[in-house]
Amino acid sequence: MDIDEDDFVFYGTPIEREEELNSRKKKAVAEASGHLRTLPSWKQEVRDEEGRRRFHGAFTGGFSAGYYNTAGSKEGWTPQSFTSSRKNRAEFKQQSMLNFLDEDEKEELEGRSLGTASQFDTFGFTAAEIARKQAEKEQQQRPSAVPGPAPDEIVLPATESIGVKLLLKMGWRHGHSIKDSHANSLYKARREARKAFLAFSSDDAKSQPEDSEPGEEDHKSILDHQPIDDGFPSSQSTPVYILNPKEDTHGLGYDPYKHAPEFREKKRTRVSGKRGSGNKQALSIKDSLFGLKSGRAAPGFGIGALEDYDAEDEDVYATAYDIEDTYIQEDEEPLRSNTENKPKLVWKEQGVLPGFKVASNSDYQLERFDPPVIPKDFLPHHKFPGPLEFDKKPATLSPPPPEVPPPEDDNSKVLIEGVATLVARCGKLFEDLSREKNQSNPLFSFLTGGNGHDYYSRKLWEEQQKRNGQKKIALDGKLSSSVDKMTVESRGKILGEMPLERSSRDLSSSIASVNVNLPFNLSDTFTKPESSSEFPEVAKPFQDDPGKQERFEQFLKEKYQGGIRSTASAGASNMSEAARARERLDFEAAAEAIEKGKLNKENKLSQQLMAFPASGGMQFTLGGLQQGKDTPDEDLATKKIYPRREEFQWRPSSVLCKRFDLIDPSMGKPPPPPRMRSKMDSLIVTSDLKAMKMEEAFSADRNQPLALQFSPQEVSKDVVDRETEPEVQVENVERPVDLYKAIFSDDSDDEMEASNFNAKEDPEKKIEVAHSTLNRLMAGDFLESLGRELGLEVPPNPPYSTNIARSSHQKESAIANAGNDNIPSVEEKSFSIPIAHGVSQEERVANDEKTAKKGESRKDEQPRPSEDKSDKVYSGKIAQEDKKKAKLPRSVHRKRSSTSSEDERSRKRSRRHRDSTSDSYSDSSNDHRDRYRSKSKGRKKRSSREKKSSKKYSKQHKHGSRDSQ
Amino acid sequence: MSDVSELPNKEANVLKGHEGGVLAARFNGDGNYCLSCGKDRTIRLWNPHRGIHIKTYKSHGREVRDVHVTQDNSKLVSCGGDRQVFYWDVATGRVIRKFRGHGSEVNAVKFNEYASVVVSAGYDQSLRAWDCRSHSTEPIQIIDTFSDSVMSVCLTKTEIIAGSVDGTVRTFDIRIGREISDNLGHPVNCISMSNDGNCILASCLDSTLRLLDRTTGELLQEYKGHICKSYKLDCCLTNTDAHVAGGSEDGYIYFWDLVDASVLSRFRAHSSVVTSVSYHPTDNCMVSASVDGTIKVWKT
Repeated sequence: MDIDEDDFVFYGTPIEREEELNSRKKKAVAEASGHLRTLPSWKQEVRDEEGRRRFHGAFTGGFSAGYYNTAGSKEGWTPQSFTSSRKNRAEFKQQSMLNFLDEDEKEELEGRSLGTASQFDTFGFTAAEIARKQAEKEQQQRPSAVPGPAPDEIVLPATESIGVKLLLKMGWRHGHSIKDSHANSLYKARREARKAFLAFSSDDAKSQPEDSEPGEEDHKSILDHQPIDDGFPSSQSTPVYILNPKEDTHGLGYDPYKHAPEFREKKRTRVSGKRGSGNKQALSIKDSLFGLKSGRAAPGFGIGALEDYDAEDEDVYATAYDIEDTYIQEDEEPLRSNTENKPKLVWKEQGVLPGFKVASNSDYQLERFDPPVIPKDFLPHHKFPGPLEFDKKPATLSPPPPEVPPPEDDNSKVLIEGVATLVARCGKLFEDLSREKNQSNPLFSFLTGGNGHDYYSRKLWEEQQKRNGQKKIALDGKLSSSVDKMTVESRGKILGEMPLERSSRDLSSSIASVNVNLPFNLSDTFTKPESSSEFPEVAKPFQDDPGKQERFEQFLKEKYQGGIRSTASAGASNMSEAARARERLDFEAAAEAIEKGKLNKENKLSQQLMAFPASGGMQFTLGGLQQGKDTPDEDLATKKIYPRREEFQWRPSSVLCKRFDLIDPSMGKPPPPPRMRSKMDSLIVTSDLKAMKMEEAFSADRNQPLALQFSPQEVSKDVVDRETEPEVQVENVERPVDLYKAIFSDDSDDEMEASNFNAKEDPEKKIEVAHSTLNRLMAGDFLESLGRELGLEVPPNPPYSTNIARSSHQKESAIANAGNDNIPSVEEKSFSIPIAHGVSQEERVANDEKTAKKGESRKDEQPRPSEDKSDKVYSGKIAQEDKKKAKLPRSVHRKRSSTSSEDERSRKRSRRHRDSTSDSYSDSSNDHRDRYRSKSKGRKKRSSREKKSSKKYSKQHKHGSRDSQ
Repeated sequence: MSDVSELPNKEANVLKGHEGGVLAARFNGDGNYCLSCGKDRTIRLWNPHRGIHIKTYKSHGREVRDVHVTQDNSKLVSCGGDRQVFYWDVATGRVIRKFRGHGSEVNAVKFNEYASVVVSAGYDQSLRAWDCRSHSTEPIQIIDTFSDSVMSVCLTKTEIIAGSVDGTVRTFDIRIGREISDNLGHPVNCISMSNDGNCILASCLDSTLRLLDRTTGELLQEYKGHICKSYKLDCCLTNTDAHVAGGSEDGYIYFWDLVDASVLSRFRAHSSVVTSVSYHPTDNCMVSASVDGTIKVWKT
């Protein structure tokens, strides 16, 4: 091509490539015409007047991002008034709009500034101002003789408002009031009076603003001045707060009429009218908005007629009138209905807003409804409908509803009792809500007066009585037997304990029928070989009370032989209840026995009860023992028992050892197994999947107590299933006594040391038991969910030892509140009892005794599988140790279990087993201590007599401990 | 008895300043100062011998139930109703650290000998050991074998001893990793160790002070006469271990003979419950604190 090109001669300009041409052309056109806007926006370019591309988009970085065209410096905006130097104090600079404007903007502004035209410039201010500006400009332009800017104060005259200037020209001086001089004498006299009044008016202005003479004077004086004030500022020498003391409850400066000033005036007129001063006319509403404002400003100073009234400009602290008005308004609220029943009329009478005319006929009718008439005996105090209700003891006022036999349906009975308990706890509101919710549910017809309503009202009354009683006693901070009695009873009710002896059953609720077959299966597993041969001989725990014994026997008969309960057994009002449930009966019996206050009897009773595992009333005799603890008779017994020493394995953390500068005793040993958080956890973990599933089937969201109740029996079942080689567990473990454990307890599972009552029953009974459990669970579930939905605190229904917990907590909280002035507040804590918390020592004491005996009585019966499931789960080694122990002579076990039987902390059991190393440890430590003792002998000031006895004891103790190991 | 004259039963000073009940008053290690804490959420440092209030430590959000100072008087530890253990600098009055973790009120707190560990006893049935050396605010050990609120704690060089409402006094021996539980059968309010370290004096809620031999767990003596049924009342042994001192809920202070448990002296010290007594480590001097808001210094 090159060769070709050489050969050719070209004319004209070659045709350029099209796109190049286009773009260039377009650009040229755009530049030429300056019509960049015709271009699409993304092609437009921003240029300043000199054609430089100085576009700085905020986010794109722009062409010359930086301070060009924006801030004055490279750093950006420089803060104007901060210099942090001691010597060079920052001078306060007034910022004006001009500081933030560009030059061109300033230029634009220049022409627009307002000034007075020369013809109206009466005093020549504007002219002077212009001249001054001119001079300033000139000064800036030429170098000044004085270096640096002249201070503003010198150059600029202090500008004052037009009003002040006018007044000054008229001869007024600062600090003088503008008034006729003849008014001054009167004014002064009043001022004195005002001052005198002020001393106390500020205090009780609220209580007696009207009747006191000086007060009236005060207001009058204000009102007197009002007409004058409208035009001119008055009495500037009197501070505003004297004229208008703050009498309301609003915050300082708060103006309720800020956006509706008309009402202020109106209110004021009404107020003044009410106060009975004759100045109502002077302050007619026709003062108008404008007059009103000047009225407000009257006590102020220096505000001229032309000063513009911006809401922002008002001195908020000077609006004393408003404050006064609002006070009146507040206080008057109930009165308004009387004085202003027809506000429309009043409005018409007093005229309309200035600039408006009253319409001759308006189709707008303000619809007004009179407020409801307040009954005369109305007390303006809010009463809380909820839990506070039982404080008022509504139930005690009304006669108790008659005792009514419970409905046939077991389900509904539980439901009724549960609801009654909840209502008694949570108040009437709960009842209303549940009624509303369950309108259609036939089960809840008792709420609306249907079937079972009588029973419900009776139950509710009982519950309320109980709660009242508890409250009272709790306030007293004392324990009385009735508390225990009630709490245990109510506990039974809260738990919805079921009479186990029911023979007929109708499952009316559809929910129940769903799971019916489940308890059947369950109960089948509870076969118990040796059984009913025992009970006749031991079934006389109430020998001293033949009636009770009779009932008890009757009860036993029914229990074991079936049959329909005769109503005769339900004698007294409290006994009928107790007779219905086995444990209640037992409790009653035990409580009665304790009331006699005889320890030996108690012991006998408890012994009998313990020797008779079928009685199942042990948890309640515990309550009795616990009560008896406080009696002095017991002291002898306790002295023998206490103090009692036990030793356990304990693993200090390595850091602790380090900090104590000791060698970690557990160094090199494997770390302890992960600890279970609670009994609950361990139960769930140790029970296998089946149990879990069962639980889930019953309720997905059951809370802890219920699960706690439920899981042990599952667990026990599993134990039965899996267990092949029986083991003897030496350490008796005190477990929280639980009804359901008692029901479902199995001899193979001595974790539940309560009775094995049901184990001896025939299968049919067991089915019933299972049913009752199911029902109870359902009812419990329902109540819980109901409570939860209502946002109420569901009563925790602790399955065991509520009363005991409370008693210990009473003491506890009393201790905690030791500083409280003699009234330990119990309630705070008694409601927030952690479930596992309340095993008080009394109970333990009782349990200890019991378990000790039980251990003896049972040891020989049969070998049983270890109850210690946790062992099985995570430490088979320990289980082996258990077995080793099982091989030890039985007598040793017995002795041991009688001396130190209680190990109530089941979750820590696994760590407790003594291994061989611990033996050596304890030996060595004993030696160690002996050495210590001998060393310190010389120093000891204790008598030798003591010493001897202690040595004796230590010998005994050593002996015992060797035995136990 | 000649003993009686040695007992501090003359009121030497009254320390006023607490608003509301004073829950604890403690001498420091050398007995020159005393610390008190109370319902008014403050801890106060006093010179009991001159009756001067020196400093007030404010930071607790609830009542302060116990306070303890290190042997070198440089650090304080306090606890109370706000479920926290506060670790203070004595001189500046600032809180160095707050140990959180107790699930409920903390009843008592003590330093160990080297002031490296703080052990606190809580209403949540646990003892917690906190490390003062590290910056961790997690407890280095939690002991929760108690089955009720732990009321009081004592530390020796090798042991942690605590008394609980469950009726036990438990000794945790760090050397051998052993827990020794002495069940007294009655809720234990307060424990204090004899100066020779061989005995534990436990104040039980059945209005009895019990003296236990630590090595054997034997009950050596019981001291009765005072009233202690619902409050946490301190008890202590005198500096010579010859007498037992304790407050009573009727405002009396009792002195018993250690050996024969006879009441040697009882006098009305306060108008209300005497919550705390603390005996001077070397002299015959005692401070007592009361719900009536005063702390009194008693000398012979």
